[in-house]
Amino acid sequence: MATAYGTIARPVIAAPSVPRLDLVKIAREVDLAVMTTVKSDPRALFEEQAIPFLDQLYGAALRMTRNPADAQDLVQETFVKAYAAFAQFEQGTNLKAWLYRILTNTFINVYRKKQRDPYQGTTSDLEDWQLGNAESATATGTSSRSAEAEAIDHLPDSAVKDALQSIPEDFRLAVYLADVEGFSYQEIADIMKTPVGTVMSRLHRGRRLLRGLLSEYAEGRGVAVKSTAAAESASTSPAPKKATAKGASSVKGALASKGKTK
Amino acid sequence: MTDCGCSKAKAELEEYLHNELASTDAADIREHMSGCTDCSSELHVGLVLTEAVQRACKEVAPEQLRDQVLLSIRTIQATH
Repeated sequence: MATAYGTIARPVIAAPSVPRLDLVKIAREVDLAVMTTVKSDPRALFEEQAIPFLDQLYGAALRMTRNPADAQDLVQETFVKAYAAFAQFEQGTNLKAWLYRILTNTFINVYRKKQRDPYQGTTSDLEDWQLGNAESATATGTSSRSAEAEAIDHLPDSAVKDALQSIPEDFRLAVYLADVEGFSYQEIADIMKTPVGTVMSRLHRGRRLLRGLLSEYAEGRGVAVKSTAAAESASTSPAPKKATAKGASSVKGALASKGKTK
Repeated sequence: MTDCGCSKAKAELEEYLHNELASTDAADIREHMSGCTDCSSELHVGLVLTEAVQRACKEVAPEQLRDQVLLSIRTIQATH
């Protein structure tokens, strides 16, 4: 790019007597030269268009794999695949959605199989009591709802991440794609290869579950702040301010043991 | 119009939140929200939940990952 610009632009600087009209013409030629360079060099085009999505894709990969090492491998593999298939990408269509499709496919085909976490349930593994329980933790009146909103608003990011990590993968992905990435239901359906109705139900259940977990977590913190003894006797309530990994088990613990008492 | 609009608003709340409703339906919900504290408090929780998730999920890729990705792309190019 720099060379193309340099070779054409240099005579302009060297000869200031060039008429105005020629300058316009030269500027157009430079533009054309730059465009041609980019077009004829797919790597430059790919770097310019796709690499800016690196942070976002890494964020999504972290939510999918739930650990930084796998997330990095997943992103690396996604970009290599995307680059190899870049000729098939139709310029002018949604590149972000295209990249997310490759990311999701790669995750499902390579990483999901590798992961053997017992909590990595699929949608059908989610018991009704888990959903029912999560929902019962959410507020119903107007004033308690605003307290709930206030509580969720003040939760540390680690608690929100932990809650996200603990909900089933299909729900988590739907929530992530809609709420973080702002994809439309149709785009999510294309990325996850499911009907729009399934996307809506995953999103709804995922958000309901997340809200329940976060409200429960906030409630637990509130109790712990007021009275340590009460928090101890409740035992399932997560204590405030803990490390990420421990926080995750607390959210899960609260969910599991509350379900058993039902 | 016997329904006060709450059932429609609650049923379509999530689609409303995600900008999935047709403009006329969205306008109905918006109008209902302005006069119904019960539904608008539910909407508020939904919005706060979305914002909390957005906030928590902001990530920056490690610099070394960026380098690795660029390197592997350039390597592929070179072997072609």
